[in-house]
Amino acid sequence: MNASSCKVCMLGDFGVGKTSLVARYVRSTFSDKYLTTVGVKVDSKEVALPGCEPVKLVLWDIAGRSALDAPSTSYLRGASALLLVADGTREASLSSALNLLMQSRSTLPDAVAVLAVNKLDIVERWEVAATTLAEMRRSLPVFETSALSGAGVEDAFAEIARRLVG
Amino acid sequence: MTSPGIGDLAGRPVAPRMADPAEAPSREASEAPGGFERLRELLLGGERRELADARARIAELERAQRDLPARLPDAAVEALRNEQGNPRVAAALSEPVAQALGAAVQKHRQSLVDALFPILGPMIRKSIAEALRSLVANLNGAIESSFTARGLKWRFEAWRGGVPYAEVVLKHRLAYGIDHVFLIERASGLVLHHASAPGLPPLDADAIAGMLTALGDFVDDSVGGDVGGALESAQVGADLVWVEHGPRANLACFVHGVPPAQLRTLMEQRLEEIHAHLLALPPDAPLQSLGEDALVRGLLAPAALLRDTEEATAPSSARKPSRVPLLVIGALALALLGGLAWSRWRWDARIDALRARLAAHPGFVLTGIEARAWRALTVHGLLDPDAEPLDAVLAGADLGAVVPTLDASGYVSTDDAVIARRAARLLAPPGSVTLAVQGRVLRLSGTAPQAWIDAAQARAPWVAGVARVESSLSAAAAGAGDDAAVAQRQARLELERVLAELQARHVAFVQGVDPADGADAVVDDLAASLRRVTALAPAAKVEVGIRAYGSNDESGGSETNARVRAQRAQWLEHALAARGITGVSVADSAQPADAPNRRGAELRATVREAGP
Repeated sequence: MNASSCKVCMLGDFGVGKTSLVARYVRSTFSDKYLTTVGVKVDSKEVALPGCEPVKLVLWDIAGRSALDAPSTSYLRGASALLLVADGTREASLSSALNLLMQSRSTLPDAVAVLAVNKLDIVERWEVAATTLAEMRRSLPVFETSALSGAGVEDAFAEIARRLVG
Repeated sequence: MTSPGIGDLAGRPVAPRMADPAEAPSREASEAPGGFERLRELLLGGERRELADARARIAELERAQRDLPARLPDAAVEALRNEQGNPRVAAALSEPVAQALGAAVQKHRQSLVDALFPILGPMIRKSIAEALRSLVANLNGAIESSFTARGLKWRFEAWRGGVPYAEVVLKHRLAYGIDHVFLIERASGLVLHHASAPGLPPLDADAIAGMLTALGDFVDDSVGGDVGGALESAQVGADLVWVEHGPRANLACFVHGVPPAQLRTLMEQRLEEIHAHLLALPPDAPLQSLGEDALVRGLLAPAALLRDTEEATAPSSARKPSRVPLLVIGALALALLGGLAWSRWRWDARIDALRARLAAHPGFVLTGIEARAWRALTVHGLLDPDAEPLDAVLAGADLGAVVPTLDASGYVSTDDAVIARRAARLLAPPGSVTLAVQGRVLRLSGTAPQAWIDAAQARAPWVAGVARVESSLSAAAAGAGDDAAVAQRQARLELERVLAELQARHVAFVQGVDPADGADAVVDDLAASLRRVTALAPAAKVEVGIRAYGSNDESGGSETNARVRAQRAQWLEHALAARGITGVSVADSAQPADAPNRRGAELRATVREAGP
């Protein structure tokens, strides 16, 4: 195998744009219908980092929910990183993302965590205050992303890859 | 030897010692002048110190022994952790642990059963399910091919090679291929190793392995329950995924076609070998490098899996079953078939013999034989009433317990023997007359009363089947007795004829008792016949009773018809009485035995011997 593989789970409330972020980032092998049937869809993306071995991110796009249930917890097993996704236009989704992070810590105490606040393309309708984001940046990397325009998406995944390699 | 002075024997100075209370009695017992005590110290001081050291070591060992139960678990864990691939502790513990388990099985069986029950149940169920699945797969294959030309060919191949039929079926059903092999980390679903068959397009192995793991988790969470089931196979059309689960890694094979059960077994073996290889790694060591391992690559190559599966399904000469049972069964079957054939042959031979005897029997025409071997037999044919009965022929057929039945219709035979019997019956020749038939020519010879000769010559040409009569009879001087007998017989024959004609006539009616045209003429004839009967009866020495019957057709009710029958019988009796015929009885509504279906009236006669 040319690149080491790492399992990355995407967590976030319903409708925050997790699947859109993945779709922006990779060309999916499987249909989105798995999200509504099995509750998860898996894709992979190889990330090349300057001066490092490439890293293959195996992205587990877990169906949106505000709290972890048993199936979602089982999907988290063996993950090396978490991409928490929140919707900037819904402040409650940020709370859900943080809540999911807290819950997943019991299963993944050492996993890398990155927060993506999505829907940057309609930033004028954001409920999440900049001060809140600034406060959160003290605890974990935060990226403002737009699945529509692609802004910040590559950076968020690259950050995950960097932290996994580092 | 010089004195060492104050010190031990090695010259080291001896330190002053505190008095040992345990030694006090000894010291008191050996109270002696001070020089002696000093001398003893000089001589035995070394040994006494060694003794004290030994006592101290014993005390230390006893203390360690007392503390051992408390320290043993931690010490064992520590020792196992520090073994570094040299399993001395495990080897040392294996024997006592095995003995302890043996003792526990004997003394605490129920406790062991209770402890193992949660494990044994799922294991047994899984084993049974796997065995049944394999059995069903094999049965399906066998049944599909059992009754075809290909199946028969495989059976011959199995018989010739001395291998079970199932093995041959499996060998020929190996029309399958392994497309992809995945070794997947159980916890994360990440690919540890992936290999594809040549010529297949590339695929996202990480995504597929992840989805397969997710599906397994989904199935487990959905329907696994407390048992901890897992996705072991999935099939869509001719494509199949088999998954074998291990403690740290799962092995998945994507297969097209119908693989034999041996592939599943081989997957289990390969996964066990990989896990045995993993034992060399620390439990928390990353498994990512496993895919680079040459051993793993060799074990999981699709071509190697195919090759080893085919070897496992190939017939093995070492496993040739004995042919003796098959030969015994074959011999028994042949004996049974031979017995059945012999029995059938005997039956057919006897039926053929019976058929020949029946065909040669005069006065009988065989139309068919309906037979079930050694169970039933019915002979169909035409039989002349004057022919010899067939009872002797049928009884001589020797058909065992089968009693033949005869279904015969009457006919008139022209066989010479039957014609002779018929002529004898009708002509009633006296003992001095010889009657013979040859070529349908009736030859009469001998002597007889003239009256009989006259009657015979008159009647003989009328015997059915007789073409010509040749007579060389000569009249014999007849006695009075002979003449009377001849006269009586001739009278009876005449009476028989007249009565037959009488009973063949009937008076027809249009409706009720309205006679049809010609009824009077019929009544006149009947009256004439009755007069002739009256004249012949005394000569024949018989008494003749005449009874008038009425008859009707099927129309009308039963009561009406009964009344009409009685009226018609009375009409006929009155008509005869009007012509001078008396003594005719009326049957009222009774019908004659032949119950003619017509509107009429008729006479029936009863003949009995006259009294002396």
